[in-house]
Amino acid sequence: MEVKSGDHYWNPVLETLTREKLRALQFKKFKRIVEWGYNNSRMYRRLYDQAGFQPQDLQSWDDVAKVPTLQKEDYRIAQAKEPWPYGDSLCVPLEKVTEYHQTSGTTGQPVYQPDTWADWEWWNECWAYILWAQGFRNTDRVFIPFGYNIFIAYWAGHYACEKVGCEVVPGGVLNTEERLLKMKELRATAFMATPTYVLGMAESCRELLKIDPRDLNIQRILCAGEPGASVPATKRRMEEAWGAEVYDHVGATEIGGWAYECTSRPGGIHVNEAFFLVELVDLDNGRLIEEPERPGKIIITAFDRHAQPCIRFDSKDVGMWGAPCECGRTFRVLKGGVQGRVDHITKVKGVLFSPVSVEEVVRSIPELGDEFELVLTKKGDVDVATLKVELEPGSGADKNIVLQELSRLLRLKTGLSYRIEFHEYGTLPRYLVKASRFKDLRK
Amino acid sequence: MLADKETLNEIAAIISDLRGKTERLQELSGGMQCIDRNCERILAGVLMLELNISDACEFLD
Repeated sequence: MEVKSGDHYWNPVLETLTREKLRALQFKKFKRIVEWGYNNSRMYRRLYDQAGFQPQDLQSWDDVAKVPTLQKEDYRIAQAKEPWPYGDSLCVPLEKVTEYHQTSGTTGQPVYQPDTWADWEWWNECWAYILWAQGFRNTDRVFIPFGYNIFIAYWAGHYACEKVGCEVVPGGVLNTEERLLKMKELRATAFMATPTYVLGMAESCRELLKIDPRDLNIQRILCAGEPGASVPATKRRMEEAWGAEVYDHVGATEIGGWAYECTSRPGGIHVNEAFFLVELVDLDNGRLIEEPERPGKIIITAFDRHAQPCIRFDSKDVGMWGAPCECGRTFRVLKGGVQGRVDHITKVKGVLFSPVSVEEVVRSIPELGDEFELVLTKKGDVDVATLKVELEPGSGADKNIVLQELSRLLRLKTGLSYRIEFHEYGTLPRYLVKASRFKDLRK
Repeated sequence: MLADKETLNEIAAIISDLRGKTERLQELSGGMQCIDRNCERILAGVLMLELNISDACEFLD
């Protein structure tokens, strides 16, 4: 075995391991974490005992599906017990916990996330894979325009920047205008933000500072928190606004930073399969999906996180496998990144619908602004999809021509017709971090 | 950088040695926090080396 150049990969040993060997490594690590969870967490022991599963039942890949999946609600129930605030989900003595974070709680009680120092090092290691694959090096000065807090967002990004040798500038307490000026003053080469904020910062740069964002000479932008960097039209808008390369990655508090786009930009994100097991399962029957181009729900295991392991966690995210990437990594690619949430994939007028496809259409029309809102309502028994958009100021566009083009593309992409409303530029909601542009009011 | 299996095995052996030496430091510390806590950090780094290299060694040709 000969390992390729060390400069191209963070870890050429694991990132180019043959699929067969990678699968063998994954199975070994999967068994190890299942045993750890069962032996050290009352939550996993109860879950597995109730399902009649024992770690020694894991003899081959066929047995993986026998391991019960973990729901977010399982964490919540387990954490209602002592020791506060982690309860039965904790796998180490409380005094070994050095890091606290929590989920946002948008779907209920927040999940508390403990990490040991080694777990925290692991989080940063996961991110080092991400940064290196996207070209971050010790010549970069990375600005993080975000106030780190009880949520996991950007903490690991910050420390992983240090790990790969970047100079990292925390821009948390500043407002958008001050952040832009600081980026300009320090000649930052890169920054990290949600796609919503990347576009919002570009708009603020033009409107408030009268500076073309391209003049800041940002070379690369790492996106998080929303799928926009894997939506081609949104990615294009961000790249054109900043004159920079925009990369996607995916992570979550309970899971870790588990997937990343590389500089070959395969139209998707590599799953870090040395550190995570991603299973795609059919949305209807739960069967494992191995073939490309078929959407499935993402069940995910983090192999090496110990304080509160994440084993066959039902992420509620939807994705599909794509073609191998030319970068040489053998880690599989999720085509188009995370395609949405299971709870956002819904039927409209009997047609299976994902809001991401509307984003792709709106942002492919240059005469339209970045913001939009999609609202689903019912009129009698009929679903009504209302799309609110803004015309880009100064575009000189004929509203009727834009309307026709928008309707045509939406019909083509989603198979649905929409009630389209044009709103005055700047009147649709603006978001600072994650956007909430989809509202299903039918229930 | 090119690395063959032999080199990677040697790297894994050194990683194992690092773990052993660091754990020995902790045994000798007599509870000195400046040793114990810094060793805890070193061991987290050693674990990353194990995850990146040692774990994979048995699967290399």
